[in-house]
Amino acid sequence: MQDKFRLAQPWLTLLARLILGGVLIAAGALKVGNLQQSAMAVRAYELLPIWMANLFGYALPWIEIGIGLLLVLGALVRINGLLGALIMLAFIIAIAQAWARGLSIDCGCFGDGGEIDPEDTKYLSTIIRDLGLLGLGVFLYFFPKGRFALDK
Amino acid sequence: MATNNGGDKGTRNLVIVMVGFIVATGVIFSVISNRAASNVEIPAAVSATDGYGIVLNPSASPKIDVYLDYQCPACKSFELINGGYLNEITVQKKAKVVYHPMTFIGRESILAANAAACSADENRFVDMNLALFQSQPAGKDTGQWQNESLIAIGNSVGITSESFKQCVNDGKYLNWTRNISEESGKANVNSTPTILVDGKPLDGATRSDPVKFRAALEAAGVK
Repeated sequence: MQDKFRLAQPWLTLLARLILGGVLIAAGALKVGNLQQSAMAVRAYELLPIWMANLFGYALPWIEIGIGLLLVLGALVRINGLLGALIMLAFIIAIAQAWARGLSIDCGCFGDGGEIDPEDTKYLSTIIRDLGLLGLGVFLYFFPKGRFALDK
Repeated sequence: MATNNGGDKGTRNLVIVMVGFIVATGVIFSVISNRAASNVEIPAAVSATDGYGIVLNPSASPKIDVYLDYQCPACKSFELINGGYLNEITVQKKAKVVYHPMTFIGRESILAANAAACSADENRFVDMNLALFQSQPAGKDTGQWQNESLIAIGNSVGITSESFKQCVNDGKYLNWTRNISEESGKANVNSTPTILVDGKPLDGATRSDPVKFRAALEAAGVK
């Protein structure tokens, strides 16, 4: 069993890198062309002061792209796995608090975002997805060495 | 790590530095390019104290703020449902109405907002506003709204002056849309349409029902 895991782990790490990295690149790329909406999506969580929410909305897509690129290429996997996990944790907290407070917003995860009709919200499925991605980030933190990576 | 050779490590570090550079440049560029400036050209009807919105009947009350995006389908519905009544009380000077054309949906929202601001300089904003929504393309940034077609929309409601045409073609108020964005953000407007009556937002049910909308405005003092 342990041997099997040792054999499979570099490939699992590669898979985790490609999924988490790919999702982060896609999420960043879809937002980066429309930063006003990105800022609006962050404001709609009503979690940060407005100036900070705007700054976060402008910066987040680039940070997602950066972490995603490094994960896919396999550079600084341990750190970027941790960063990816922390970002997902922050998203989960933000979505959960919006849900608990009864806000009706689009998560803005892949573009869009802002206030929407209450029946269009999908908090639970978003949280479950982000939990999965959080798990991948944690896995990469503990098992950063994988196939086809710039890290040796 | 121990078995590493120098070339691989060099490539890895170069990649890390390059990605870091892209992220840093992107963040700095994004923050700067979305910052509003105080020295932009603004339409005559615009007031900085009203969030850089286009102000109709500045001395009337109550104050009605309309936050919209010309590419937003729900804003089109609002205009088609309540625009008639809103325009009627605007013409009769029964309320101060401030329009904030936001531009978060896309490039053509910016072009449309510029054209709307140009129409305000011709004192024809109300007509242009309606005409833009009536000709709203299905889908965002379809390519249908360019300066030429926006001038044609102006012509269709009788705005035929050379100054209007030039204003649209020059993109005279393109930078002003950033001020609108920034101020709308400060007002914590996170969806369109958002309608404020004396600063208080109307809920979705009131916005989409002409009877309730009229009642809400009458309750605020529109006679």
